[in-house]
Amino acid sequence: MFDTERAKRDVGMNDIKVAARNVQVYYGDNHAIKDVDVDIEDKTVTAFIGPSGCGKSTFLRCLNRMNDTIDVARIEGEIRLDGEDIYDAKVDPVQLRAKVGMVFQKPNPFPKSIYDNVAYGPRIHGLAKTKADLDVIVEKSLRRGAIWDEVKDRLSEPGTGLSGGQQQRLCIARAVATEPEVLLMDEPCSALDPIATSQVEDLIDELRTNYSVVIVTHSMQQAARVSQKTAFFHLGNLVEFGETGQIFTNPQDPRTESYISGRIG
Amino acid sequence: MTDMTASGASAPVRKHATSLLAQDARTKRRNAAETRFKIYGLIAVGIGLTFLAVLLSSIVYNGVRGFQQTFVTLEVELLAAKLDKKGERNIDDIKKVSTFGYAPLIDTAMQNAVAKIGYDSPFEKAKEYRPLLSASVPAQVRNYVIANPDMIGETVEFRVLAASRVDGYLKGRVTRDSIARDKNIDAAHLDITDALHDEGVLKKTFNWDFVTGADASESRAEQAGIGVSMIGSFFMMLVVLGLSLPIGVAASIYLEEFAPQNRFTDLIEVNISNLAAVPSIVFGILGLAMFIQFAHLPQSAPLVGGLVLTLMTLPTIIISTRASLKAVPPSIRDAALGVGASKMQTVFHHVLPLAAPGILTGTIIGLAQALGETAPLLLIGMVGFIASNYPEGLVDGFVSPNSAMPAQIFEWAKRADPAYYERAWAGIIILLLFLVTMNAIAIILRRRFERRW
Ligand SMILES: Nc1ncnc2c1ncn2[C@@H]1O[C@H](COP(=O)(O)OP(=O)(O)O)[C@@H](O)[C@H]1O
Ligand SMILES: [Mg+2]
Repeated sequence: MFDTERAKRDVGMNDIKVAARNVQVYYGDNHAIKDVDVDIEDKTVTAFIGPSGCGKSTFLRCLNRMNDTIDVARIEGEIRLDGEDIYDAKVDPVQLRAKVGMVFQKPNPFPKSIYDNVAYGPRIHGLAKTKADLDVIVEKSLRRGAIWDEVKDRLSEPGTGLSGGQQQRLCIARAVATEPEVLLMDEPCSALDPIATSQVEDLIDELRTNYSVVIVTHSMQQAARVSQKTAFFHLGNLVEFGETGQIFTNPQDPRTESYISGRIG
Repeated sequence: MTDMTASGASAPVRKHATSLLAQDARTKRRNAAETRFKIYGLIAVGIGLTFLAVLLSSIVYNGVRGFQQTFVTLEVELLAAKLDKKGERNIDDIKKVSTFGYAPLIDTAMQNAVAKIGYDSPFEKAKEYRPLLSASVPAQVRNYVIANPDMIGETVEFRVLAASRVDGYLKGRVTRDSIARDKNIDAAHLDITDALHDEGVLKKTFNWDFVTGADASESRAEQAGIGVSMIGSFFMMLVVLGLSLPIGVAASIYLEEFAPQNRFTDLIEVNISNLAAVPSIVFGILGLAMFIQFAHLPQSAPLVGGLVLTLMTLPTIIISTRASLKAVPPSIRDAALGVGASKMQTVFHHVLPLAAPGILTGTIIGLAQALGETAPLLLIGMVGFIASNYPEGLVDGFVSPNSAMPAQIFEWAKRADPAYYERAWAGIIILLLFLVTMNAIAIILRRRFERRW
């Protein structure tokens, strides 16, 4: 039923990149994430699946502190990146976000040129000393975003003029341009057609060689195709977390089983 | 649908008309309602356009005459015996001769001008020609003599203002009937006017002095111009722009992007909306109390006017800026934060440029409102008749007493002489030209910003 070919390869041999312990998230009185523990490995694609509204995006946004921008959100517990607590008072979320990049559900390129879209992150983080350095970074990032060949002749054109799939790959290129260590993707393919989706999925598999990737998806097929680890969320709880192959073929929890067989969703 | 007959209990009910070519009653009613609504809309638009047309045509009809003025070409003999009795050309001696000393020379010049065209004048004394010319003429000639003392003794040609009544006669404002009880001028003067006009000595031409000039006394409508109060308005707008744009934008950015959502910020928000609805005269009396009586800033100064108008404009700018900041999609903020931009970088690199066209429009609308505001200026002493002197330099432009265009127009409209009424209309044309220009600038800038990637 699920193609877990890719997922079966090299599992469980990597270091822990992000470790979350007893994470609780409240939106005012709404307890959106309940006591979640997760270990996210380096150079691995981890998928978060679960019915809509179960807190996948919320938990993902905890990992780069994007929830800080929501006034009513309150986070408890501990999330460590390479052993350092990212919610420590000394941590500047801006610095954290350079290390933990993010790609959003809706492609959101800046209304600037393709070049400037990619160059923006490196510029504000001072990653390039000269224009030539910046050119190199932009080209490298666009290549990693698997979109270089399509845009190399029109780098000065607006990024908003690209097609949806191209825009999303541009956003991925923009995210990798700051050399993050972890890449968070919140339903990156939900606005894309099947061809663009498969291009982005191939890209995610490639990104795994350099980054730890966390992807939220509502498509179980997609989770099965691209991830090595899968976490199943339900009503704010992390119900089951394990190797993708095992979750899809032999789920331990009855709720997981009903979800992947289409009974809750 | 079709298998309803299977039950056999009831015949199938046809809900729709049999033919698509015939409209059923319901459709007819709906279409009629739609047509009626379209007609109401057209009537509303038509009424609006009619008012606009009436407004514009009456403004133009009444106003254009204000830009024209009647001038007389006059050859004045600058008699040395009158203007420099000692004959030493000492500037101090020349200055001692007041405008009363010049008046007889001008009367004579006028008499000669009438004689020259061969008109059979009923007047015998030169003085009787005086009502034909503006009372400003002696001063004009005197200024010339003081500037060019060596011309004393020569005959010099001047282009001088005709009297307001003469000007009005040529424009149709003054008629022979209307002067019947006028002590200043008789029918004989109007006959002379006709004769001089036929010979081209007296001519109605475009009057730049109206655009550049200062306000004049109540009895010299022909001399009054809107220039000085235009300068007053200009300096006020500098103050308004310089203060309300940075303060308004900073406040809006803070409230919209940084401030937490709580009771306190809600309170601020409600109060800003309320301030926008406060009548402008309230700001005027506030300015009087705050800036003049408390802070002892100079009265009638464009600086104070600008401060008062800033208070008035701020809510407009804040409301429109916040609206345009709100209109920037949150996904752009997420994108910038996501690549590690700080909040401030996010705002200044991404949100503000996208909001700029809206901010700009709001600012220009605010400025246009401020430019047309009259009531608060009257309270702080920027009344029309103050605008009688040009400011000397930049600082003086801000602090020396002046008026503003709308206050000047109000002042003119208030004066009894119909010649001033005409100038009020002309002033309104100038004011409207400024507003149209400002809007054009807003549109051009907005286009520029929108195209920039
Ligand atoms: N900005 C927010 N403010 C308040 N409640 C929120 C916000 N975002 C999400 N929630 C709530 O948190 C819960 C989890 O939402 P979310 O993480 O978006 O779910 P998912 O991504 O799994 O569909 C939902 O009940 C949702 O209503
Ligand atoms: Mg979501």
